[in-house]
Amino acid sequence: MSSPSFSIAQSLDEALTAMAAGARPVAGGTDLVVGARQGKAPLPGSLIAIDRLDELAAITPATDGTRIGAMVTHATLMTNPIVVEQYSALADAAALVGSPSTRNVGTLGGNVMNGSPAMDTGAPLVVLGATAELQTSAATRQVALADLWTGPGQTSAADDELCVALNLAARPANSGSAYVRLEYRRAMEIAVVGAAASVVLAEGGAVETVSVALTAVAPTILSVDVAGVLVGEQIDEATLKTVAETAAEAATPISDLRATDRYRRHTVGVMARRAVEAAARRARGERIAIPVNRALGIGAAQ
Amino acid sequence: MAVTDTPRFVRADGPDKVTGSGRYVADLTLTGMLTAKFRYAGVAHARITKIDVTAARAIPGVFAVLTADDVPDLRYSPVVPDRHLFAKDTVRFEGEVVAAVAAINAEVAQQAADAVVFEYDELPIVDDLEAAMTDESPLVHEDWEEYAVTGDTPRDRNVATFSSISKGDVDAGMAAADLVVKQRYVADGCHALPIEPRGVVAQWEGNKVTIWTSTQVPFDARNGVCETLEMPSNRVRIIVPHLGGGFGGKCGFHFEAHIAALAKAAKRPVKIVFSREEEFLAPDRRRESMIIDLETGLMNDGSIVARRGWVAVDNGAYTADSAFFPQLAAMHVAGPYKIPNVHIDSSLVYTNHQPSGSVRAPTAPQGCWACETHTDELASAVNMDPVAFRKMNAIDTGAEGVVGQIYDEIGLQDCIDAATKAAGYGQDLPDDEAIGVAIGWWPSFPGPSGAFVRLDADGAGQIVTGAQECGTGAVMTLRQLAADELGMDPEDFEIIYQDTAVAPYDTGATGSQTLLNNGRAVVAAAEQIAEQLKAHAAEQLEAAVGDIVLANGAAHVAGSPDKSVSINELAEIASGGEMLIGKGSPVPPDYPEIPGMNCVGDQGVAAWAAPQFSCHAVRVRLDRDTGVARVLGIACAHDSGTIINEVAAHGQVEGGVLMGIGQALTEGTVYGEDGRQKNPALLEYKLQTFADAPPITTTFIQTPTTEAGPRGAKGLAEAPNVPTAAAISNALAKILGQPVRQLPMTAERIWETSTAGGNQ
Amino acid sequence: MTLETAPASINLTVNGVTYPVVADTSRNLLSVIRTEVGLTGTKEGCDDCECGACMVLLDGQPVNSCSYLAAQAEGKAITTIEGLGDGDALHPLQAKMLEAGGVQCGFCTPGMIMSAHALLERTPDPTEEEIRIGLSGNLCRCTGYAKILQAVGEAAVELR
Repeated sequence: MSSPSFSIAQSLDEALTAMAAGARPVAGGTDLVVGARQGKAPLPGSLIAIDRLDELAAITPATDGTRIGAMVTHATLMTNPIVVEQYSALADAAALVGSPSTRNVGTLGGNVMNGSPAMDTGAPLVVLGATAELQTSAATRQVALADLWTGPGQTSAADDELCVALNLAARPANSGSAYVRLEYRRAMEIAVVGAAASVVLAEGGAVETVSVALTAVAPTILSVDVAGVLVGEQIDEATLKTVAETAAEAATPISDLRATDRYRRHTVGVMARRAVEAAARRARGERIAIPVNRALGIGAAQ
Repeated sequence: MAVTDTPRFVRADGPDKVTGSGRYVADLTLTGMLTAKFRYAGVAHARITKIDVTAARAIPGVFAVLTADDVPDLRYSPVVPDRHLFAKDTVRFEGEVVAAVAAINAEVAQQAADAVVFEYDELPIVDDLEAAMTDESPLVHEDWEEYAVTGDTPRDRNVATFSSISKGDVDAGMAAADLVVKQRYVADGCHALPIEPRGVVAQWEGNKVTIWTSTQVPFDARNGVCETLEMPSNRVRIIVPHLGGGFGGKCGFHFEAHIAALAKAAKRPVKIVFSREEEFLAPDRRRESMIIDLETGLMNDGSIVARRGWVAVDNGAYTADSAFFPQLAAMHVAGPYKIPNVHIDSSLVYTNHQPSGSVRAPTAPQGCWACETHTDELASAVNMDPVAFRKMNAIDTGAEGVVGQIYDEIGLQDCIDAATKAAGYGQDLPDDEAIGVAIGWWPSFPGPSGAFVRLDADGAGQIVTGAQECGTGAVMTLRQLAADELGMDPEDFEIIYQDTAVAPYDTGATGSQTLLNNGRAVVAAAEQIAEQLKAHAAEQLEAAVGDIVLANGAAHVAGSPDKSVSINELAEIASGGEMLIGKGSPVPPDYPEIPGMNCVGDQGVAAWAAPQFSCHAVRVRLDRDTGVARVLGIACAHDSGTIINEVAAHGQVEGGVLMGIGQALTEGTVYGEDGRQKNPALLEYKLQTFADAPPITTTFIQTPTTEAGPRGAKGLAEAPNVPTAAAISNALAKILGQPVRQLPMTAERIWETSTAGGNQ
Repeated sequence: MTLETAPASINLTVNGVTYPVVADTSRNLLSVIRTEVGLTGTKEGCDDCECGACMVLLDGQPVNSCSYLAAQAEGKAITTIEGLGDGDALHPLQAKMLEAGGVQCGFCTPGMIMSAHALLERTPDPTEEEIRIGLSGNLCRCTGYAKILQAVGEAAVELR
């Protein structure tokens, strides 16, 4: 590794070259600097700041969906009209991250590459069918999120690979998505458990496609197969109850300071049910403000 | 949003605080200053086998490394002197200071602290209050019988102090009752958590030391340094710059002597500023965990005839200022009720936890939570509305309380009426909402206190006081008292405070006593100047002294406002002769005497002077599926006597209430099996945020009170912290159909209670 | 490997004044503002983004300076509490905090005011809920937030 250094990248090429030479990228620095101060991991010997790369901070329509640059902040995600209208679950999640200041500096790419199973944007990205775009000075590849996250705080990205964007699939008509989480306070929280859902409704209101993903109940964001339960069915009390049960059964939570495994298993079912319900309401054209937690009153956010 | 319309009052220290120019300890730098770090035990209970500082001292840039060998070998602490400055032979909690280092910068200091060789054999952890009280338990202090205890302080093994309160014949009362309700309530400990982590800077000049420190009690801090470093009080000067909150967490004597000793050894100024984690772990001022058993005998008409109680209070590893906690806890679990037969046994129990100490109304929020949760259970047992039940059983003017004290004019019943009315108690609510009500009480603490007031030749005023401002505005209010005595404007006065070398003694920002005691001192000092001014004015105006009135910055003859002379002119005249210097140190009001009071281990907190009363009515909504509760609004009524500074008074209630909501729902220390705290960080120890805070309305029941502070003021800073958690508990119990008998009532505990169903 | 021995020259523009400082690149912005720049109005309450006492504005946006690398702030406009107000005149947020009683111990006050400043810049006519959420990253232990809410609401009116 090169001698200790810090530099501010003026171009993506410069950033990738520095990473090829061993530098680690820093965007908002919230995870990196706090982690270093808490002794989780020392600051890397060589840092390249990538937060000024405007080409990584754009939200742009693509032929088959939307490309969200890795340096897009949570503050932007929660208010950007494309995200709010089409990828509501992601906006819901961004609006719940930390505080206004952490949302200002924290980025989508930073959140994704941190690889925490408690990351709020992870479950929404999964249900929205996102892939991560990883780039080196030599090549670019698209990686499914299920392949990216390999364990708590671990990703399959190589050291010289920079996450430059998340690519989200186009949204069909009559679709909706939502993210909810359990929180003990109305702000400054980390997900105890959370759930995202994406729902596409057929004519007549039956479910055409559905996906659900869970936060903080497994080593990585956990996809739950509820298609068998919901596809072709109406969203009603009975099917929602089954969603909750399915999610609770799928979860493999741990016990820690924030909750016991038993309580997590129960509440993640409640969150899954509420996420599906809110996503379906949005699919029917109902406007539910961002974030759902505060609009509908989930836990402390009621 | 409900904001009470109150008169505007701009505090004297306010401009410093809003512009960033105000200095706190962390903001101070002295030339040549070194940085200190402590080496902590990091283990809850262990026999020390080796401490070796050789390697640490050898690190370049290290100026001093101190251990117990380097300071006087003596035990200190009020009532039960059971601790040393540095760990000696045994460590009894994880935050105990083993060694202290002063070095050229923080990195080197930390390196040296880490390089101190500290070896030990682990001892069994004492962390269960009931088990600790058995004969089989390991001892936290094997030498407990040798300690030089003072006062009426019964003790036994791990019971550091014991008190009882007793009245009537509880066995007979219980036997005569129509029904008896018995329950256990368990409260976890929690933290004061001022936003400013504490700091200390010490500098020696010759044989004198000046210590800048974030303490609420400068004179206590000074006395602690004098005692532990064996120095006379006039060679130790404590100065407190601005203090970033305390809530009791910065009461007592903490680390001033460690830093002073380092500075002496290093021959340099030395500074320490705590990290947030250290602020969680090391100070001996955690709010105590408690186990409370209550058994109450009732008649079918709802009258309470007997109460028996058993209380265990977690002392932690050392007795900070906690010797009086058992008796105070007993008073709170008995409550402000007319109960003819009472017996409460209460013990302060050593464990290997962080020491407990006076955090804002010590023992009261927990005791009140148990008592008032129990009260709603009693009301339910006789099918009475809990408010009507309280109105029937609560004390009123002239009633006899739980230790036989007859109360002078008090406003408790009015508090109940005002709070329930403001909350709309009795209205129809959705089935996931309820209004819970609780009442609380808290004593005032009269004591000695001193101040000087002077007017200089230009008429500008100075108040020189030993009082300490910790944010409440109590010291700021002193300007108002002096100005009113002298017919001047509060803005005419500056306040010199928080410096033990220049001002006379005051107890400090503790026990809600600043206005009560120092207010009287400032009034007394100002009165002396008023007499001088009147004498000069009488001469100038050729009138009788008795006819002179001081008002609007001038002295005039009563009935003839035109016949006047300005105070500035009088000050100028006085400056040529006997100067305008007043001193105040009035005899404190008496504590009430209770004939025949029958209490074992009396620590002086059963007979209450100028007692304060309160009622909180809280509207709560519960997310039944998750157990997450939210406080939607709270109506408070307080009898704290006369309110002198309304803005500050409302601020005290609002801050106390929010702290109470945190204690109720989200704040609690979690201990691991190793006796160490698992959540010493703000992400896992959850304070209420701006987004959580509900609207708070406050009514002051201004009961005229003699034997109190100036103009009949009682204390106020602690009282608002007392009944909030209890009121929330009662709202939750209404929604759930049964109470959550663990504090904090976390979402998971609420959910467990609801799923357990009917586990009465 | 840490960056403990990597001093760098950094130009920091604080309250309109550019300070050429030399500091290790691992240093956070908070400590450099407090020591090298010498402005102590910005406070440290927790060191992990949980209390908000260290809040400064970077190009007008609120940032926890405890968790932001000083080197990364080069070229950005940094505003601290000392940069508010006009000469001796208090900024309306400062004045209203005093008048309403939003200041008690004062330790959270600078950070709270900086967050409020950023909030009112982007939301000049905030609802009560917007104030509560906008300031939710700033913990206060003294006031119960009631008087701060009042102060920010009154300052918003004056600033509009």
